[in-house]
Amino acid sequence: MATKTDIVPIFEKLVDNETYLKEKIGIGASFDLGIRKIFVLKREVHLYYCNGLCDTQYLIQLLKQIVQINDDERQSVQAKQILENRLVHQQVSPVRDLNEAIDKLLSGLIVILMEGETSGFIVDVRSYPGRQPQEPDTEKVVRGARDGYVENIIVNTALTRRRIRDERLRFEIIQVGERSKTDVCIAYIKDVADPGLVELVKKEIKQIKIDGLTMADKTIEEFLVKQGYNPYPLVRYTERPDVAATHLLEGHVIIIVDTSPSVIITPTTLFHHVQHAEEYRQNPAVGTFVRWVRFLGILASIFLLPLWILFVIEPSLLPEKLAFIGPNKHTHIPTIVQIFLADFGIEFLRMAAIHTPTPLSTAMGLIAAVLIGEIAINVGLFVPEVILYVSVAAIGSFATPSYELSIANKIARLLLALAVALFKVPGLVIGTTVYLILLARIRSLNTPYLWPFIPFDPGAFMQIIVRRSVAGGKVRPSIVHPQNRRKQPT
Amino acid sequence: MKDHQQTLEQNKREQPMSLLLKAMITGFVGGVFWSLLGYLAYFFHFTEISPNMLLLPWDIGDWKYGKRGNYLAIFLIGLLSILVALVYYVSLRKIKSMWAGIGYGVALWIIVFYVLNPLVPGLRSVAELDRNTVITTICLYILYGLFIGYSISFEAQESEYMQEQARNE
Repeated sequence: MATKTDIVPIFEKLVDNETYLKEKIGIGASFDLGIRKIFVLKREVHLYYCNGLCDTQYLIQLLKQIVQINDDERQSVQAKQILENRLVHQQVSPVRDLNEAIDKLLSGLIVILMEGETSGFIVDVRSYPGRQPQEPDTEKVVRGARDGYVENIIVNTALTRRRIRDERLRFEIIQVGERSKTDVCIAYIKDVADPGLVELVKKEIKQIKIDGLTMADKTIEEFLVKQGYNPYPLVRYTERPDVAATHLLEGHVIIIVDTSPSVIITPTTLFHHVQHAEEYRQNPAVGTFVRWVRFLGILASIFLLPLWILFVIEPSLLPEKLAFIGPNKHTHIPTIVQIFLADFGIEFLRMAAIHTPTPLSTAMGLIAAVLIGEIAINVGLFVPEVILYVSVAAIGSFATPSYELSIANKIARLLLALAVALFKVPGLVIGTTVYLILLARIRSLNTPYLWPFIPFDPGAFMQIIVRRSVAGGKVRPSIVHPQNRRKQPT
Repeated sequence: MKDHQQTLEQNKREQPMSLLLKAMITGFVGGVFWSLLGYLAYFFHFTEISPNMLLLPWDIGDWKYGKRGNYLAIFLIGLLSILVALVYYVSLRKIKSMWAGIGYGVALWIIVFYVLNPLVPGLRSVAELDRNTVITTICLYILYGLFIGYSISFEAQESEYMQEQARNE
């Protein structure tokens, strides 16, 4: 791994600079780096650029201006000042260190060096390949803003700034990765966010020593929360600027990583993963209804299968009114195996759907529906009820707004089902208890994972159960330790 | 500056009061929630004991065995649970670990099933209860203890943290 490079002052002779750069970053060897050599007032000027990362139109404009110097000016003594004046761009900064110049050059800025000078200029003519803001696929709403974050950190901070014009909003930038030099931005509102949390996040990010962050935000997350093999997501991701802005105002710290359209919201609890922007685009009553139905779906995705398999194994547990539950037909395969097979079948589908092109995935869905739905039953592999309950649980998973949470729940569901199949009632009861204790034990950036349920906070818990009207929510959630508790004056 | 003082004053006036009140609310909600869950467990025959166990010693008519009896018992457990929470608040609030709450739950279970149980006529002793009942009730008490204990300890820590922050400013 490369270590931090030292300062190398710019040489007076352009040839020396050129040799250094050629050796260091391989101009000539790499086809995307180039030099343009021109003469200004009889002195040689070199312009270094990185193809594809800078806007050619601006470059041509700049070159035109520079070349015109030869026609308009006579004094060659002040060549450097004249050159600086003629760089018609708002972001021009002087540079004395060649290595700094290299960093900038490789991020798409252009470096201009002049014969006989020990400092050059850096002009920001960056234009990164990227897409326009689009509505994120995973967080769609019926009404409301359709813009989503993109892979460009500058666009992302701009989208956030558009929503919070507060002078106290801070975007602090840190470069992480010895080789990739990825920009990581920590966003918070200065007089709201807990300074302790901001410090903690900054400290953790600065400690990262790695060659590159190709998986951007996910890599940062793994360094930040150190979750080991716990499947539950410890930070929330969002691709919606309005969601990020809401959380900033509540006192959360947001981490934006260049090259990724999802931003990290910290700190998070389990209940941040079960809310969705759509609830806040509907009126409070509808939002509450939607939320309750969603909670039901999430609970079903964890507990429905284990409960059902318990009743299959021990029908005597069922109250009289529910005695109809349980398979009527007999198969040769134990129910637990059927459940695992069917659940894995759905998992195959889900995984396959991610990387199957759309035209093929229609065919895949058809095959799956016929295979699992019809033929598996006719052949005697599954009883119909298995299909029913596995499907309901799977739909419950899909109703979970957080993709990460839905998969973690799936693992929990299968483990619970296994415990029930092995130990019956004690399996379910002890399994659920251990599950809850383990969840309660998790702390993500010093925040208890099940807050506000365990530990219980009456006010905040009401906020979770009922989607309150925005006008009714006067205080910020206490869990982020906001410096300024009130959102609205009373 | 004036604004600043106001917030500080507010902290001082509100904090001790709301901490106790929060503990009481936590106690009530915890009692109601976990005994409702216990009732659900009884409904599915995980346990032979339903929340109306509380009413059994009193001779108030047969309705105590039905739904009404159970809901009344759940409500009463909620009220009793306020006391339980206050005891935790007074004695164990300072302990930071959530295991204290779990231990508290186990202790409660032992008290209820070994000390109070023999006082209730017509209720079988622990040795006679079936395995599922014992396991289910212990687990419910553990989760209940965790709920009460962790909540109260956490609130105490939080208010300490907030006071420290206010002092630092």
